[in-house]
Amino acid sequence: MDRVAPEYYGTSMVRPDDFDAFWDRILAQAERIPLQPTVKFLELRSSTEVDVYEVHYDSLDKVRVAGWYCLPKERKGKLPALLQLPGYLQDPPIPKEWAADGYAVFFAAPRGKLRSRAQFDPGYPGLLTHNIVDPNTYGYRGFFIDAVRAFDFLLSREEVNAGRIGVTGSSQGGALALVVAGLRSEVRAAAAGAPYLCGFMDAITLTHTYPYQEIRDYLRLYPEHESAVRRTLSYFDGIHFGPRIRCPIMVNIGLQDNVCPPETGYAAFAAIASEDKTLYPYDQCGHDAGSATHSALIDAFFETHLKR
Amino acid sequence: MHPDDFDAYWNGVIQELKQVPPAAEVKEIPLRSTEYCTAYTVRFSGIGPYRLFGYLSIPRGEGPFPALVYLGGYRSVVEVIPQGDANEKRERYLIFSAASRGQRNADRPYEARVPGLLTEGVEDPATYIMRAWVADCCRAVEYLLSRPEVDRERVAAVGGNELPLLTAALYSGLTHVVAEPVLFYRALERASGTCAYPLEEFNDYLRIYPNRRAAVAKTLSYFEPLSFAPMVEATTLLWGHSESAGPLAAALKGEVELHSSEASRYRDGVYQEKWLARQLGLGKPVLPAHWQV
Repeated sequence: MDRVAPEYYGTSMVRPDDFDAFWDRILAQAERIPLQPTVKFLELRSSTEVDVYEVHYDSLDKVRVAGWYCLPKERKGKLPALLQLPGYLQDPPIPKEWAADGYAVFFAAPRGKLRSRAQFDPGYPGLLTHNIVDPNTYGYRGFFIDAVRAFDFLLSREEVNAGRIGVTGSSQGGALALVVAGLRSEVRAAAAGAPYLCGFMDAITLTHTYPYQEIRDYLRLYPEHESAVRRTLSYFDGIHFGPRIRCPIMVNIGLQDNVCPPETGYAAFAAIASEDKTLYPYDQCGHDAGSATHSALIDAFFETHLKR
Repeated sequence: MHPDDFDAYWNGVIQELKQVPPAAEVKEIPLRSTEYCTAYTVRFSGIGPYRLFGYLSIPRGEGPFPALVYLGGYRSVVEVIPQGDANEKRERYLIFSAASRGQRNADRPYEARVPGLLTEGVEDPATYIMRAWVADCCRAVEYLLSRPEVDRERVAAVGGNELPLLTAALYSGLTHVVAEPVLFYRALERASGTCAYPLEEFNDYLRIYPNRRAAVAKTLSYFEPLSFAPMVEATTLLWGHSESAGPLAAALKGEVELHSSEASRYRDGVYQEKWLARQLGLGKPVLPAHWQV
């Protein structure tokens, strides 16, 4: 059977009526927990151009979350800033290159990642289906808030220009960029690559690859939970954060993406409410989503929105 | 620089490994099994002794099966099969994804830090963590070859760095290798031209300990893929450009195909799957839906 062209596929995921209330409630819960950041200078990782710090902060359920914070060694006045968010399997790297280019950069390691594993660690595979029958305890509930709180960390920094903070990431990082842009109106600009966690239940029919395969594995063993799973995921679907996104945003996808199907990337882009949004679909590209050429466009995009 | 005691160093590692029984413990994991394969966790011992881990996936039906062993990924996570691979590969190949010490599920009591792992103990070849990582890869291959379901004529080690090559040099039985020279190949020379991790780990370390440069260089000389290449008889797909990886390709004893990335995970992925399928006698590769044209 011929496949529907990815741009016309749409999504079967339905945004719950109480989606906004659900997230406003969780944000209010998180608000009551002081960030309590610790910022430790790392001489070993710092260079002649960049100072590197290891940061920890409190997040939902009082989970202590880590991240790398990089600042240009030479700085005048307040800095534009970037929040970088990790892929599903990625160990958050130290983002020295962006700092060398004049940004204050924070690369978050949400709960379960290296350095943030002490209180929560469903593993990989594992995170995607952790408590998946209950939206109130689903693994990504805290994980999403950890990303939001990483943005709050940047907002709290004296050296950062609070009006010029962008968010970016690819794959899971792309999904998290949508989430943070949807939950924090202070985001000045966002760049999301190959967004994962979008159109969950579509993705598991479109592709038989991990990480989405985790959901297929789960439903193979527990088919009776399918409606509960769909319901939970409807609160966490990146597509459903789109109507809350008002900042300038760019999205890049690979038309042969075997991890995050391009169909779901198109659906995520269509849902974004921002009037300043651009989609870059890359033919002959997989989960890289054209990064070899697209990275220069991201540089220029943030240069425009955060530096000028 | 090829150290004079290169062979003695690695013979010592292999001898040490022989002293440690694998003591494998295999448990089925129904959650990761399918109608076409059965999944298991495998716990086994390496030098130290230290308890290691792997995901084993065996096709249902009559074997023996061609086998793929995924080795030594430079990150904390070890997957059942690599992200993005068609799960249906597990119907055709026996697949073993091995964790070296410090990676997830092999991270108690020792948790690997990334970044940090690449320079852990690097001041001394005897304490360098990668000595144990290579031994862990050898032990993983040894375990794989102990499985009666494996077709010993078709066993490929696959990885995104040089560890499959080093393993193939030290432990016989691998018929094919897929590798990329990114960690150890002319490491300090390449590190000096980049600020990107993982090679930046060497730069970080030498900024703090500049007087240890000679010691680091000596340790890394035991891990230089050029020194292992003449011992690699397996047919190899080596990722890299001819101008950089050409000397390594030329030094490999077995048949080698040097192939440059096209900066597309789709094109590169299809190329590798076709290469593996052709080399291991499967004919058509097993591709994910979005790679099927």
